Amino acid sequence: MSELSNVAGAGQSVPADLREEVLSASTTNAGGGGFDFENHHRNARIAAELAKSGKEGTLPRAKLTGTTICGCIYKGGVVLGADTRATGGTEVVDKNCEKIHYLAPNIYCCGAGTAADTEKTTEMISGQLDLLRLSTGTQSRVVTACTMLKRMLFRYQGYVSAALVLGGVDVTGPHLYNIYPHGSSDKLPYLTMGSGSLAAMSVFETGFKEDMEEAEAVELVKQAIMAGVFNDLGSGSNVDVTVIRPGGETAIFRGLEKPNEVSELRKTVERPAAIKVPKGATEILASKFQPLSSLVTVEDAPQPMEI
Amino acid sequence: MGDSAYSFSLTTFSRTGKLLQIEYALMAVQQGKTSLGIKATNGVVIVTEKKLPSVLIDSDEVSKISLVTPSTGFVYSGLGPDYRVLARKSRKQAQAYYNIYREVQPVGQLVRDTAGVMQEYTQRGGVRPFGVSLLVAGYDDDGPQLYQVDPSGAYFGWKATAIGKNFVNAKNFLEKRFSEEAELDDAVHTALLTMREGFEGEMTEKNIEDRKFRILSEQEGKDFLDEAN
Amino acid sequence: MSILEYNGAAILAMTGKNCVGICSDSRLGNQAQTVATDFEKIFKMGDKLMVGLPGLATDVITMKELLTFRLNLYRLREEREIKPETFSALMSHILYQKRFGPYFVEPIVAGLKEDNTPFISAFDLIGAPVVTDDFVVGGTCTNNLYGMCESFYRPDMDKDELFETMAQCLLTSVDRDALSGWGGVVHIITPEGIMSKTLKGRQD
Repeated sequence: MSELSNVAGAGQSVPADLREEVLSASTTNAGGGGFDFENHHRNARIAAELAKSGKEGTLPRAKLTGTTICGCIYKGGVVLGADTRATGGTEVVDKNCEKIHYLAPNIYCCGAGTAADTEKTTEMISGQLDLLRLSTGTQSRVVTACTMLKRMLFRYQGYVSAALVLGGVDVTGPHLYNIYPHGSSDKLPYLTMGSGSLAAMSVFETGFKEDMEEAEAVELVKQAIMAGVFNDLGSGSNVDVTVIRPGGETAIFRGLEKPNEVSELRKTVERPAAIKVPKGATEILASKFQPLSSLVTVEDAPQPMEI
Repeated sequence: MGDSAYSFSLTTFSRTGKLLQIEYALMAVQQGKTSLGIKATNGVVIVTEKKLPSVLIDSDEVSKISLVTPSTGFVYSGLGPDYRVLARKSRKQAQAYYNIYREVQPVGQLVRDTAGVMQEYTQRGGVRPFGVSLLVAGYDDDGPQLYQVDPSGAYFGWKATAIGKNFVNAKNFLEKRFSEEAELDDAVHTALLTMREGFEGEMTEKNIEDRKFRILSEQEGKDFLDEAN
Repeated sequence: MSILEYNGAAILAMTGKNCVGICSDSRLGNQAQTVATDFEKIFKMGDKLMVGLPGLATDVITMKELLTFRLNLYRLREEREIKPETFSALMSHILYQKRFGPYFVEPIVAGLKEDNTPFISAFDLIGAPVVTDDFVVGGTCTNNLYGMCESFYRPDMDKDELFETMAQCLLTSVDRDALSGWGGVVHIITPEGIMSKTLKGRQD
């Protein structure tokens, strides 16, 4: 992709076609390299100028997933859970976002932290796992995913702020990892992450038992996430649960519990007429209609010359 | 001074305007095992011969057809190791495309990118052309598709074609047997009949259906073979 | 002050039945000083696809050029129009490439899919996507816009209802925001084409 040619490290002597290959590989594949720092200095100066002019200047913050995420191991399988709130500052930006990301058919990963980071990091690793599966012809292992994730996060020294709960079942059984933004990890039978992790952990600490049945484990995870939803302001809305069963088969319960769903109630409420804007209420200065280009026929177009 | 005086360098044209190394690469392809592909109304079938030189070889470890995207597969005639390199590059390319657009790379795009790699290896210094021709079978928004890619980087779209040893006879046979209305099962049948013209032996088949690529199991292959015999 | 508030903007996209709308205010400011009242913030990216770019005006223009460039290349390479979902993914990719040196824009995408069902999405400045089936907002008065949309949005509005609803949501929101306003423009994308209307708004 020639449009990426500003990426740092593009060799000068490499022919254009070759550079294209090297770059598209490095920017999208080879372990997430290839961020573009083109605007970095400009942005630093903008921040400095804002500070100088006395206006408390901070660079804008990215969308966060305040988040309660958790996971626990049960008899032969793993249950992952997450809330569905995304916030920008104190504003709820997305009431029903997905925080349980696909990594492989038998491995899923919950993400907390900067929304774009968790999203892109998991997408990238999932792509690498895909390539690895194609070349080895075997099922992905959870340790592999864990190692790839922590290596990538360590390389970025915590600046890629993704806090992950990684769970899956492979030939060696069920596994559950916590991966921190700086690249360290834990391996535990039950764990929680995100701003609601304390609330969720309190539920696990009282309710966790070894070798639970699936239904029991799902219920425990649900309660843990609900504790986050109700007690942590960064978490909210619904409970998503993904179960990875002993064979590696998965069941995704999107919106397993919706304790805050109001749309049904809203439908039953008679709205005052004022809420509905009558047609023609808005004053218009100009109006233009651009028909679909495929619907346009040019009638007196110049005819091609006869040969 | 004949053409052979120019064959030392890949990137030097001969006086007759040929790049001899590319022609030699094509000859390597023509000595390879036959592969063929047929487009059906609801999919594409690609077939290749999997005849091993010794019974001691574990045939499970030999795979000549490979998945590149969930809906596109490659098969080749020519040098196996060269093919592996190409397949790996194409998978990576398809993954790069997916990472940007979150959409499976269309077959035509994948073919063009793969052909681009093959062309590069006819012009760069210190390399030799790939000794393989590829058949690319896939299914996307434009329906089922079958392409051939040659060592020069040239590529063609086909309704049905054959590459490798005996490809002229196989193509003649296909020209007689090809039908626009054939469905996948018929296409598999025709493909195997065409293969049988050349050889007898165990074969692997690949079959694309409903945008999913799948390699027929040994048993399914056997059933189709029994039918063809 | 955030640099995203330097020039002021209010953009809103909303879904209807077989139609989708995207609208913005028209102000370009230099902080509290109004510089222009006909500043474009919404750009046509395809027959049934538009993108709104609230944020720092210089980056709005750069981003528009960059997107046009990428789309022209896409059309030449693939000989087809981009789907809204695909465009959305591309947008996210472009923004995330500049994870550590972002453009100060928070794009909003609105378009009709191939089957003419609506698609809307919004992004933060480093490409985290929000895809919803009702409305998305961006700019300097998102709080106001959210409030208006939460009250006025109804599912399955036709294109005229959608226009009125969006226009009122926008105008009312920007009237309570000093940084945006000075009229607005509403684009309603339908299977037949794009209807664009310029709104009369307060000039203070």
